[in-house]
Parts: sequence; C-alpha cells; structure tokens
Amino acid sequence: MADFVKVATVDEIAVGEILPLTVHHRDIVICRTADGFFAVADECPHDSSPIALGHVDGHEVVCPRHGARFDLATGDVTAPPAVVGIETYEVKVESNDIFVKLN
Amino acid sequence: MSDAIKQQNESLSTLNADYAAKYGFHDPVDYFHKGARGLNHEVVEMISRMKKEPRWMAERRHEALDIFYSKPMPKWGNQQALGEIDFENIYYFMKPIERQQDNWDDVPEYIKKTFDRLGIPEAEQKFLGGVSAQYESEVVYHSMKEDLKKQGIVFLDMDSGLREREDIVKKFFGTIIPSTDNKFAALNTAVWSGGSFIYVPPGVNVTVPLQAYFRINAENMGQFERTLIIADKGSRVHYIEGCTAPVYSTDSLHSAVVELIALDDAYIRYTTIQNWSRNIFNLVTKRATVHKNATVEWVDGNLGSRLTMKYPCIQLVGEGARGEVLSVAFAGVDQHQDAGAKMIHAAPNTSSRITSKSISKDNGRASYRGLVKIHKNAVNSKVSVECDALLIGDDARSDTYPTMEIDSEKVRVEHEARVSKVAEEQLFYLTSRGLTEDDARLLIVNGFMEPFTKELPLEYAVELNRLIELEMEGSIG
Amino acid sequence: MTTMNKTDVEYTIPEVTPELERGPVWLRDQRRASREAFNVAEVPPRGLHLWRYTDPKTFLYDRDAVADTAYSENYDIVEKIELDNLKNGNIAALATDLGGRDIKLNGADELAKQGVVLSSLSSAVEHHHELVENYLYRLVNARTGKFEAMNGALWNDGIFVYVPDGVTVDKPIHLLRESGLARSSQFPRLLVVVGKNAELTLIDEYGGGSLDENEGISHANGAVEIFGLEDSRTRYVMLQRQASAMKLYLTHRAQIERGASMLTVPLAFGALLSKENFGVTLNGEGADSNMYGLLFGSGYQHFDNHTLHHHAADNTSSNIDFKVVLKDRSHSAYTGLIRIDNDARTCQAYQENRNLLLNEGVRADTIPELEILNEDVQCSHGATIGPMDPESVFYLEARGIERDEAIRMIVSGFVDHTLKTVPDDLRQRIGTFVAQRLERI
Repeated sequence: MADFVKVATVDEIAVGEILPLTVHHRDIVICRTADGFFAVADECPHDSSPIALGHVDGHEVVCPRHGARFDLATGDVTAPPAVVGIETYEVKVESNDIFVKLN
Repeated sequence: MSDAIKQQNESLSTLNADYAAKYGFHDPVDYFHKGARGLNHEVVEMISRMKKEPRWMAERRHEALDIFYSKPMPKWGNQQALGEIDFENIYYFMKPIERQQDNWDDVPEYIKKTFDRLGIPEAEQKFLGGVSAQYESEVVYHSMKEDLKKQGIVFLDMDSGLREREDIVKKFFGTIIPSTDNKFAALNTAVWSGGSFIYVPPGVNVTVPLQAYFRINAENMGQFERTLIIADKGSRVHYIEGCTAPVYSTDSLHSAVVELIALDDAYIRYTTIQNWSRNIFNLVTKRATVHKNATVEWVDGNLGSRLTMKYPCIQLVGEGARGEVLSVAFAGVDQHQDAGAKMIHAAPNTSSRITSKSISKDNGRASYRGLVKIHKNAVNSKVSVECDALLIGDDARSDTYPTMEIDSEKVRVEHEARVSKVAEEQLFYLTSRGLTEDDARLLIVNGFMEPFTKELPLEYAVELNRLIELEMEGSIG
Repeated sequence: MTTMNKTDVEYTIPEVTPELERGPVWLRDQRRASREAFNVAEVPPRGLHLWRYTDPKTFLYDRDAVADTAYSENYDIVEKIELDNLKNGNIAALATDLGGRDIKLNGADELAKQGVVLSSLSSAVEHHHELVENYLYRLVNARTGKFEAMNGALWNDGIFVYVPDGVTVDKPIHLLRESGLARSSQFPRLLVVVGKNAELTLIDEYGGGSLDENEGISHANGAVEIFGLEDSRTRYVMLQRQASAMKLYLTHRAQIERGASMLTVPLAFGALLSKENFGVTLNGEGADSNMYGLLFGSGYQHFDNHTLHHHAADNTSSNIDFKVVLKDRSHSAYTGLIRIDNDARTCQAYQENRNLLLNEGVRADTIPELEILNEDVQCSHGATIGPMDPESVFYLEARGIERDEAIRMIVSGFVDHTLKTVPDDLRQRIGTFVAQRLERI
C-alpha cells in the first residue's frame, strides 16, 4: 500500500485544525499549519491517547492528556513525557485534494 | 479457633494503638513562617519570592498551578481515599528555622530528639556521606564529606542547587516529569520546596550512599520535595531516602517529584524506605531516563502512610540500557499501598526486571499496578516481572493490575504473580521446632521480604526488620 | 471506502419500535429500562480500564439505517455440514439464528422427549414464561454497561436452551448464528439454564457479516446468559469466525451454583474488530470453572478480549488458559480478572496468558488482574509475550523439516492443548481455520 490515497479536501481543514481519519485500517490525523498539511498517527506513543483531541501549536501537535509535543514534519518528540516520536506519513496536495501515503 | 489464636486476634486489634507513643510525638515548633492554608497564585508567588528564585522558576510555578487547576483527579485507584483530600485545607509552605545548618551540633535539639527515637543518628554517623535532613519544608541540616566535594560531586538541597547550579537545574528540571504529566506533578512543580539535587561528574564513582532523611511535622502540612539526580557519563551513585512521620489527627498530603537521569554508561540506585504516619496521603511521581548502556535501579519500600500511590518509572532510551525495580509494600490497618513500576523500552537490546513483594494485613490493601511498554524500535528487549503477595488476616486484600503493551515482535516478556497466605506447613514446621507461632510468622515474613532487605545497607535492614516486627507484634493465626 | 471520516457519533435509541414492543409487561419493562439506561449512560471515556485499546464509539451506530436481511452463501454450506452432523448423530440438535431475528430449529422435537427445551426466545417467553422471566436479564442487563443495555433494548429474537434437573444431553447442541451482509446490524441473545445435576454441551458458532469494507461494515452486539444449577456440568464452546468487515461486541456471563462445573472455550478467528467479554461467577460452594481461550489474528484484525472469574463462594476453583497467536498487522488486547470475594474462603484460581508473535508489525497487550479480598486463597497468574522460540525452529530445521513447515508445527503444538477441549468434528473444522492462517507464513 505504497500509493497515495485521497483522504480529504483542502477546504475541510482550517489552519490550526486537526482532522481524524481511518485510512486502510489505520487511525491517523491530518493537521494543518501555516506551512501546510501533515499526517501523523492518531495515537500518542506515550500513553496511547488519541491525538485527535489535542491541538496544533505552530509546527507542533500537542497530546491532550499529558502534554507531549511532536514536530509535525519529522514526528520527533519536542516535549516530554513521550520518549519516542510519533509515526508520520507523507502528504501531498493536488489542487483541492489531500493525499496521504501509508508505508 | 483456639484460645491462643483468639487472644492473638484480640491483641491484634490493639496493635499500633500505641503508634502515637512510639512515633507520634511532635515537638512544639516555632515556625519562622507559617503561611495560611490553601493554594492560589499569591501563595506560589510568596514561595518563590521568599526563596529569591530566578524569574523563570517563578513562571514555571505559576504555569504549573494553572495546569494543576485544569487537570482532573485520577479516575482510577482508591477513589474514596483520593476524594478525601481537601486541597484548600493544606499548608503549602513552612520554614522551620531561618538559616541552614552545616554542622550536626547546630541542628536544634528537638529535631535531634525526633531522629533519636528512630535510631537515625547511628546510621547517619556511620554513613555520613552527606546529609540533608529535611524537617518541614526546608533543609535544616546539610553537610558534605570533603572528598565528595573534591571529586566535584554536587549534593545539595534543591533550593541551594537552584541558587548554586542554576545552569544544570535549568537544563534538566522538569524534562523527565513535566507539569503536564499528572495533577500531582503539577502541584509539586507549583509549590515545591526542598528535596535533593545531585550531580555526579563523568567517570566519578560515589563509593558511599548519599542519604537524606525526610520528616514532616505539622497538621495539614504538605510536603512537596523536588529531587533531581544527574549521573554523568560513566559515573555511579547510590542515593537513599528514608522517612518517618508523627501522627496527627487530620490528613496530610505528601507529593514529591523525583527525576533521575543516567547518561551513557552511568549507574544510579535510588533506595526509599517510606514510613509516613498513617494519616498521610503519599502521592509521588518518580521517573528515570536511562541512556546508552546505563542502569537505573529503584529500591522502594512502602510501610507507612494512609494511601500511597507510587509507580517508579524507568525509560530506557539508549541502546543496552537496563532498569530494575525492587519494591516491597506493607499494608496494615486501614492502609492502602498502591504501588508498582513502569518500564518503558524505547531502544534496542534493553532489559528490565520488576520484583514486587507485598504484605496485606488486617484490613490493609496492597495493590501492584504496573506498566511494561515495548516500543517498535526496542528489538531484542527482555522483561521479567514477578509479583508476590502475602495475605495475613481474613479481611486483607491484594490486587494485581499489570499492563503489558508490546509493539515489537523480537522481545521476551514474562510476567508472574502469586497470592497466598502464610503456609500452614511452614508454620507447623517452625512451631514444632520450638518457635512460638508469632516468632514463626515473623520469620516467614522476614524470609518473604529478604530479597528486598538484602539490598539495603545493614543499618537500614536492621531498622526495617524492627519496623516489620512492630507491625507483626501479636499477629493473628 | 477505505477512508473514513471519524466525526462524532451521537446515537440514542428512539422509542422502542412496535416490532419490539410486544410480549408480557415484565419484558416490555426490561426493554424500556435498557433503552433508558443506554440513552442516559455516557460513552465510556477512551483510555479508562477496559476501553484503553478500543474506541467505544465503534459500537455506536444508527440501527434504523440498516435493515439488510441478505446473508452470505457461505452459511448454507456450514448449515449443511451441521445438518449432516445431526443426521449422522454427531450432534443432538441444530438451531440456526439469522440476524438475531429468524430462528430455525432442527432436532428440537427429539430433545423435547427428554424434557429438554431448544426454542426461540420469543416462543419461550410464551411457553416457558416462568423460566424466562426468572433468568433473562439477570446476568446481562441495563446495569452491566451501555452496550449491554443496547442489546437489552434492541434484541429481536434469540435462542433459549433448558435442560431439566438430572437430564444429560449426551451430544452437543449446535447454534449457528449468522449475521447479515454489509451495513446490517443484529443483536443476538442466548439464554441457557442447565438444571440440577444436568449436563449439556453447547456449540455457539458466530459467522457471516459483511465481506467487503467497501460495501459497508456490519455490526453485531450479542448477549449470552448461562445458568448452571447445583451439580450441573456445562460445556460452552464459542466459535467466532465472522467475516472480515464485521464488528462484534459480545458479553457472556455465566453463573454456576454449588458443586457445578463449567467449561468455557472462546475461540476467535474472525471479524475485523471484536470486543468479547467472558465471565463466570462461581456462586456456590465447590463450583469449578475452566476456560480455554484461543485467538488467532491475521490481516488488520483487532481483538479486545476480557475474561472474568468471580469467586463468590467457598471452596471454589477456577483456571484460565488464554492463548493468542498474531500475524500480519493484527492486534490483540487481553484483560483477565480473577476476583475472590471477602467471604469466599479456601479458593484456588489460576490464569495463564501466552502470546505468540509470528512477525513484526503485530501488537499484543495483556493485563492479567487479581483482586483478592481474603487470605485463604491460592492464586497465581502468568503471562508471556514473545516470538517463536528460535531454538525450536532450528531444532526442527536441523531434522530436515522446512522452515515454513516447522513454524506450522510449532503453532499447531501451541494451539493443540486448547483444541483438545472441543468435540472432534468441530475440531477438524477449526483445524482448517488455523491451517488457512498459516498458509502465508
């Protein structure tokens, strides 16, 4: 399943918003920052909380339960208590459509 | 039921009735400052100003207070007991004497008296690697052996640590346990006072255990120590924390935060013997981050308090890191020891072991609550968990709530738990060899605890055995 | 449709439809109470105990949107096998339950000669009303939980089995419960009463459901209540082999009285997502319960299983052996609780959970729990999680057995102990499920 899948349209997500989706049996979220669209797993690696209920802050996404932060571009942890990064997925936008590539 | 056993049952009901006489003395203390009860941003500001802290720490405190307000109480665990905590009826800061003592002779007599009754001075004198004896919210006594100083080892109370080594504190404070972690970590961050700060330079082996005695002594008085230990590359350190407390009639809250950092190839052992009086809520967050080929060991004994909730956590973030938790809990009348361990494997070839021993007696309740988490990248990791629970009495309760989350295939995770009462055959064997039933039971309980006690320095092992003996006095059949 | 937008589902059960508004007053009261309880109960917060691994919203859906009554052709095949089994005398009777609505019975008349009742629940409400009123909703009801209340309000028809005191049903009774195709939803229900010193073996087989996610998911929410009266002996095998686009929520509760024994065998192979909860209360002195679970996950399957052994009486004993095999990207979460009450003395309870991980990408969670409220017990549990023992594979390879075959042999050995508890003819059918899953290793 290395292909890009259309998951949403650009106008569905405003800057700073999070859209939760299930794509090919995987729960993911699409986050929109000023820089564009990013896709990460909808599960905080720290304590399995859904990321969908968190918020976007600049280029980071913040877990709602314990405040762990992740860089949306790389998935790296930028604030504890998480110790491993969040899974990221490649995103591309063509005209009004958002595509995600699951590895 | 034989008469002898009936008698034992009766004497059991009065067990610890004299606890107050044994431990519950408290000395009239002329507090230098005795703030008002309750918590708000003014209190937080006052604490920070009295300590003459840098502004960033004051801001940290205020931010944490807001997080404390926004976080819900835990929805798991002993809901009834947790519901009894009245945050508005607690003193959040006290200061017993104005200036720090750096000489044992200068420690006020009433504090020494308290230590005497618990046999602390002997252990201290013998081991005096450095002492920060905390009485109320501030360190009253602090001394450090000259050779520790020469080796560049920093062993200070946390307030002094912030003053003298602000660079290190600022770099590591709250990086293992952020305020957002849980309600009590937020509370601690807002009002912390005292605790220990240790930095061991690269390659230095601290050959004597560093010790600190904690004690609280005021009605509805919260204690919020903050401890930060950093073992730099290839260094070794053993820290010992022990505490006892007098009895008071209303509840008291103790909520510490302890952060350990073991950099590459370092070794930290953190030993605690917790014996708070039975009106204390002891809600503690302890967590360690372990880097490449480093080791952290939590050796954790819980005897006192009314409710303890404590799950020392080890995050194995470097390849080949190793973690171990060895814990013992003793839950007597009306006590709930809710303790456990968390092991987070976040790097390849990491290994860990958890050994938990608990004794529930009378209507006491001991719970093991644990988490083992193996992340995808932690290939070839090994975990073993063993929980043993001993029940003494018809109304004793034991719970085991382990959670194992395994996200990697090439791992080996093993968990075992057993719950039983003192075996009749063992009792029979020992009594047939001339021991009284009480002595036989004590012997069996001591044997059960042995894997823990043998890890303690001799003085502590002796003290612990004495405490167990007191607990077991006139035990039931 | 492989992409789903997960907007919040707000679903309440409207007035009970006229179709369900029938039967005696007590039954209508129970339905209404269940409906009220469902509508009032909050969705369990995600992350709390028992809801850490499965989103509860998965089980909320608007029933009115789905009334598809088509069934897979597959079910005819299985029904035919079992009818042959009945003809050949391998089983005592067969009940086919289509979508928790239409109940077909074969062999029930023969059983009736012994006084054994095998009937639809709707018929039993009429003809055995005292038994049904006394037992239905006793173990799974409005107070059990939101989703149990959902079944309690919306079940249409179900199956009732009654074995009178002293009667032994010497062959298994087979229940075949077929779910509808895409976008269907069903609420199967089963009530079993095994009389004093009576004996019963019950095979409860769940199949069907949507085969293709693109066509839509199908849902089932099932409830099973089993009563083992004094000195009874009950064996209950639950085989779940639902289709790959099916989501299942099922709560099983059994209660056994003095001297009774119960064997429960939950076997799970199917469904895309399933949350199954098996519980036995040992309610009388000397009661004995054994549970042998087996779960084999493949593809993207998600299993969330619970077991409960609740000791509520003296001298009771229980044992659980729950095995999990996972391959591809499947996920299993298993939570097993042993509870021993304060007034249940001299009890013994054991539990074991072993997880075999066949490749990278799987995930196994296990939470074996104990709550022991008195000292007079012997209790232990153990759990292991790991890959196949490389030494065993190496050993077999060294003897000239190919790697794939060696793996198959080891997995077969792992599951064999559990399958020994299942009647012969069924074991063969289960053997094929295991073999199919091992083909692509």
